[in-house]
Amino acid sequence: MYSNKLYFEATALLYTLSVIMVLIVIAGMLSCVTLWMKGKEPSLHHSLNIPAIIKSFICDVLLQLQILKISFIRWLMHFCIFIGFMGLLAETSLMAFMSHFLSPDNFLSKTFFDYQDGAGAHILDVWGDVFGLMLIFGLMIAIIRRFIIPAKQLETLSKDTMSLVLLLVIAITGFFCEGVRLMYPEYASVASYSFAGNILAKMLEAVGLGLIDYKLWVWVHAIISMIFLAYIPFSKAWHIFVSPLEIVIDASERA
Amino acid sequence: MENETKQAVQNTETEENKVTASPVEKAEAVIDKNAPAPKLKIERFSPRQLMELDACTRCGECSNWCPAYDQDQRESLTPRGRATLYKDIIGRQHGMFSADSLLGKITGKKPVTIAEMDDFAKDLYACSTCMQCHYVCPVAIDTVELWERIRETIVDIGHGPLPDQKALTINTKNYDNPWAQPRSSRGRWAKMAKKKKRIKDVPKDISKKSAEVLYYVGCTASYDNNVEEVAINTTKIFEHSDVDFGMLGSKEKCCGSVLLRVGDKVSFDRISTENIQQFNDLGIKTLVTSCAGCLKTIKMDYKKVAKMNFEVKHTLELIVDLIKTGSLKLTKPVNLKVTYHDPCHLGRHAGIFDAPRELLSLIPGIEFIEMERNRENSRCCGAGGGLKSGYPDMQNLISQKRVDDALETGATELVSACPFCYQGLQVGIQAMDAPIKMRDITELVCMALGDDDEEKKPAAEAASEAK
Repeated sequence: MYSNKLYFEATALLYTLSVIMVLIVIAGMLSCVTLWMKGKEPSLHHSLNIPAIIKSFICDVLLQLQILKISFIRWLMHFCIFIGFMGLLAETSLMAFMSHFLSPDNFLSKTFFDYQDGAGAHILDVWGDVFGLMLIFGLMIAIIRRFIIPAKQLETLSKDTMSLVLLLVIAITGFFCEGVRLMYPEYASVASYSFAGNILAKMLEAVGLGLIDYKLWVWVHAIISMIFLAYIPFSKAWHIFVSPLEIVIDASERA
Repeated sequence: MENETKQAVQNTETEENKVTASPVEKAEAVIDKNAPAPKLKIERFSPRQLMELDACTRCGECSNWCPAYDQDQRESLTPRGRATLYKDIIGRQHGMFSADSLLGKITGKKPVTIAEMDDFAKDLYACSTCMQCHYVCPVAIDTVELWERIRETIVDIGHGPLPDQKALTINTKNYDNPWAQPRSSRGRWAKMAKKKKRIKDVPKDISKKSAEVLYYVGCTASYDNNVEEVAINTTKIFEHSDVDFGMLGSKEKCCGSVLLRVGDKVSFDRISTENIQQFNDLGIKTLVTSCAGCLKTIKMDYKKVAKMNFEVKHTLELIVDLIKTGSLKLTKPVNLKVTYHDPCHLGRHAGIFDAPRELLSLIPGIEFIEMERNRENSRCCGAGGGLKSGYPDMQNLISQKRVDDALETGATELVSACPFCYQGLQVGIQAMDAPIKMRDITELVCMALGDDDEEKKPAAEAASEAK
């Protein structure tokens, strides 16, 4: 069970930080929602059109075809960030759920965590690398569009920069966690599944860094991830929740 | 019409209802502009609209298309900039971190000042409410509804509308038209046209003799000598068909579009309620109008005020129906090379893109060429949303861009279906001395009916055409 050994150390500090993060998220969301609810005019002028909502959710929220119509590069950037972020969030949530709420003998735990016997553990290795690379690829396009070859319509506020930087640091520290993990001899056999992490592990070895303290990377990764999650309701990333809502409401109202 | 607008302002100023300075203007000399601004009435919004301010991803696609930003590259003019600024303002006035809250004081939030509010209001009105931003927004924010609601909150606290726009709203409230013209002369165009034998008869007064169709002429076609052709041509077309129609004449009132667009919702509610009551009492089946602005207002905004017992159509939709049913026969070839400008209120707002193109295809002889920007992406002429009265120079430049689009097609005629666009585009054509003629679509229909009485047109129009 490498997960319990390396990935999830359920210390009191980790729980405390998680609770603080969740409280900040809730406070931020409440701050926004209570402001919205001060509006007293009706939001909807028609009854909800479920087929229009489903169609819009698939085409405009998941596939983001409306962005593809505008620009392939912008679609590629946003799609990679969106899918990458959601994929990693799902993976982390799944692992956190299994490690904290399921017994080690549970079928899910044995399948996904026991890398010696559980076939699912390798899926998670590939999963993390694929979505992590997608996220970094999308972020690199975003950084190029904002700071290196600026698209003329972009106007960058500190909030825009902050969200990009935090996401990038989360993705990079995530790969460092994986790379350092694969430097431990007992994990050499899973290296082929974690293809990107393995390349990083070899690079770290090549530059002579050897075994860096794995726990340090995990803590850096975890704390920055929590800062980002807590920052969501106050940042540009708030649109992750709000924009899809507006898209489907508009589709329903205009149907 | 720019002159007419100025005239309307002058008319207003000379009468008892003088254009009063906004509270900000009055206070400029005596009040510290750094004093806190009055609180906005946030309850005017729907929760969805306040959420929309958060939904903006600041991608900036709107700024690529905004006709106002195209002329004045200031971030505060873009829909993105407007949403960001307003979100900040209401956050500081009403949010959990508002300037007067404990959290706001801890985090150093400052109150919104009168100067800030004034600057915001000035830029807020540099918008033609063309709705292009909604169509290009990846999040589909219902932008124009949001801008109009924001304008209402600005009007509430006396920071809007702009002085020239205010003249139009005061006129509308006092004269039932924005041009400060007497109610009694609203139907004058019809009497003059009858006198010159351009129409067979003055359309019947529908309040006295019932009819199936009410022709709602609108203020611009009723009072503007250069645009009354739209009303005359519409009447001629109906006379050629078997449609049972009438109009309200001096009893017709402004639809209230100008009030709603600049944020005077209280006055709009009054005039729209009176109009709906009047229309409902007529027992008509259909209300038709040749004005895209009136159509949008009556068809889409009135239904939020009260129920209506009739359908609302643009004249060209009815004309297409009449041609299809054989009631109207277009036989005379109109050998012109034309391009069509989609009025924002007819196209993007009301979704009527096909009917005008179908009508053009039904007119024999027409060679129709689309402009590169058409339908949902049609470039605005800049006349709507109070922009023409508030920022006439900007409107002129926006209009010239659209005329450029038309000239690129090689067309000799620029056709539209809105008296206000007619005025707006004419500004650009005259400024550029462009070799293209502005026409309302009803004029082409009359030509195809063989009822194009050029020699009977007003002298000013004839001189313009000769040029």
